[in-house]
Amino acid sequence: MALHSSAGAPEGPLLAEPGHYDYAPYRGRPRIAWPGGARIAVWVVPNIEHYELDPPINPRRGGWPRPTPDVLAYSWRDYGNRAGFDRMADVMARHGVRGSVSLNVAVCDMFPDIIARCCELGWELFSHGVYNTRYMYGMDEAQQRALIADVRNTIFRASGQRLDGWLSPALSNDETTQHILAEEGILYTLDMLHDDQPMPVRTRSGRPLISIPYSLETNDVPNFVLRNATADEWAELVLAQFEQLRAEGGTVLCLPIHPYIIGAPHRIGALDRVLAHIAAQPDVWLATGREIARHFIDHHLAEFDAWIAAGTPA
Amino acid sequence: MTLDPRYLEYPSRGARLDHGRFAHRRPPPRAAWHGLGLWIVVPVQHFPMDMPRGPVAIPGGMERPYPSYWDYTQRDYGNRVGIYRIMRALDERGLRATAAVSGCIPGRYPALVADIAAREWEVMAAGWDMGQALHSARPEAEERGLILRTRNALAAAFGTAPHGWHSPGHSQSAVTPDLLAEAGFTWCADWINDDLPFAMTTRAGPLMNLPMAWELSDRRCLFEQQQTTAQFCCQIADAAARLRDEDGRVLTLMLTPWVMGQAHRYRAMCGLLDALMELRPALLTGEMLAA
Repeated sequence: MALHSSAGAPEGPLLAEPGHYDYAPYRGRPRIAWPGGARIAVWVVPNIEHYELDPPINPRRGGWPRPTPDVLAYSWRDYGNRAGFDRMADVMARHGVRGSVSLNVAVCDMFPDIIARCCELGWELFSHGVYNTRYMYGMDEAQQRALIADVRNTIFRASGQRLDGWLSPALSNDETTQHILAEEGILYTLDMLHDDQPMPVRTRSGRPLISIPYSLETNDVPNFVLRNATADEWAELVLAQFEQLRAEGGTVLCLPIHPYIIGAPHRIGALDRVLAHIAAQPDVWLATGREIARHFIDHHLAEFDAWIAAGTPA
Repeated sequence: MTLDPRYLEYPSRGARLDHGRFAHRRPPPRAAWHGLGLWIVVPVQHFPMDMPRGPVAIPGGMERPYPSYWDYTQRDYGNRVGIYRIMRALDERGLRATAAVSGCIPGRYPALVADIAAREWEVMAAGWDMGQALHSARPEAEERGLILRTRNALAAAFGTAPHGWHSPGHSQSAVTPDLLAEAGFTWCADWINDDLPFAMTTRAGPLMNLPMAWELSDRRCLFEQQQTTAQFCCQIADAAARLRDEDGRVLTLMLTPWVMGQAHRYRAMCGLLDALMELRPALLTGEMLAA
C-alpha cells in the first residue's frame, strides 16, 4: 500500500483549502515585540515518539514498508529512546535550552525515565498523539475528543502540566481537527506551515486558537533522511534560517529534532554547534511553545485580528 | 466517517516495549575496554541478477530492469576486486575484520574463501544470498531451511560453524531470532537500536544483538545517499570521537567491497583507518561483543 493513499478519504466534496486563515501578506504587519527586546523567539522541539512494531492500519495511510515485523524501520526509531535521548538532552541542558516536547504520550507509560528527565529539565510536554503509528485520518469527532482527553490526562498524570499545544501524530490531522482543538481549549496548533510568525486560526466556534511556526525546513528528519544532508550541511542550513529570521525581526525559529536522528553519534556535535551559536546571541528569546503562544495571545493577537479585519493595510 | 473503535485501543501500552524480544533499558557501557571499541565488518555478499524485488526491497538489490548487468556486475566487482583492496588496507595495518558471508559464496568463489580463512578473519553468516530475505511472508519451515543451509555451507568451508548472523537487508521475520538460536547461533546483528550489544529472548534461550552499522554504513551514505567519500569519512571520524568520549561503546565500521573497495576511495579508506587507529581503539570481534 502506498504511504499516501486517497483510500479512506471522506465521502462528498473535499476541502480545497484548510479555511482556517485569511491571506496575510508579509509586509505592513503589526510589529511583534518579544520579551526583553529580543528580535527572534527560538524554540526547540524534540519529537519523542514511539512507532509500534505491529500497528493497526489506517485506511488513508499504509503501514511499514516491509512485512511485519519491519525490524529495520522499528529499530532505527527505537534508537532514539534507548541511546539518542540522553545525548540530545545533555547538549540542550549544556546550553540552557529547554525543549517543548512533541510527545507520543504512550512514552509516558513505556519510558517513564525519559519523561522524568524532561520534567527535571523544565521542558514543556505537548501532544503528538498516543503513538506515531496512530493517525487521525478518518477519526470522527468523538474519537478525536477521546484522543485529546487521553493525551491531556496522560500528560497531566506524568508531569502535572496542562495540555496547551498540538501537533497531530505524523501531521495526520483531519478536516475537523482544528475546530475541535479550539473547542477543547488547546492554545496552539502546529499542523499548518503557512507562516514564520504566530497567526490567529479561524474555527467554527470562534474560540481562540493560534498557529505558531513548526518547521519541515530545519527539521532533522527531512534534512537527513529525505535530502541526505550531512551534519555540517544541516547546521549551516539551520544557522542561515536563524540569521535571516533574526534580521527580519518579530519572527519564530522552530527547530524540530528527533533523538533517533540528531542523537546519532555523528550528528550530535552539529546540534551542539547550532545551540552554542544561538544561545550566545543577545537578542534571542529562548522560549517554549506555551510561552510563545501566551505572549502572542496576551500582547499581539488583538492587533493581528484587527489588521486582518481591516484588509491587511500596508 | 469513523474509524474502527479498536484503532483507539492500545493493548501493548504499558511499562514495557510492544513486543517481548528485549527490555527497553539501555545496557551500560562495557567495562571490558576503555575509550572507543572498533568492530570492522566486511560484507561478502552475493546479489543474484534474478533476485526478487519484494516483499522486502533489499538495499543494494537489483534496481534496473531485468537483466540488470549494471546492478549485478557492480556488486560482483566487490567480491572480485574491491575486497582485495580492503584486505590490503587492513593487512598493512595489522587489522582483521569480521566477514559477513553469504552461504552461497563458498560454492561460487572458493578462492575468496581461502583468502578470508588465511587471514583468520572472523566469519558471520549473511543469509544464503541477498535474494533470500527473511520475512514473515515466508513459511517458517522454509526460513529454517535457509538458515541451516547457510550455516552448513559456511561450516564446511571454514571448518567451524559461524556463531553470528546478519540478515540480508536487516530483515527478519517474527521468528528469525528463535530460528537462529535453535540453529546454534549466539548472536545476530540486525536491530539497529543501540550502539552496544544487548540480549534478546528467544524460545531457545538468549541471543545477543550486536550493533551493525546502517545509518553510518558506506552503503547507506555513499551508495544510497550519494554523499562524497570525504563527507562519509568525516562523519565516521565525528562518531568515533564522540563514542570514544562516552567510553566503552562501539563504532561498527562497515567496509563494503563494492562501495568502499572502489579504486577512487582507496586513499580515503586508508586515511580513515589511520585516523581511527590514532584514537587507540579496542579492536573487537563479534565473539568479544557477544560475550
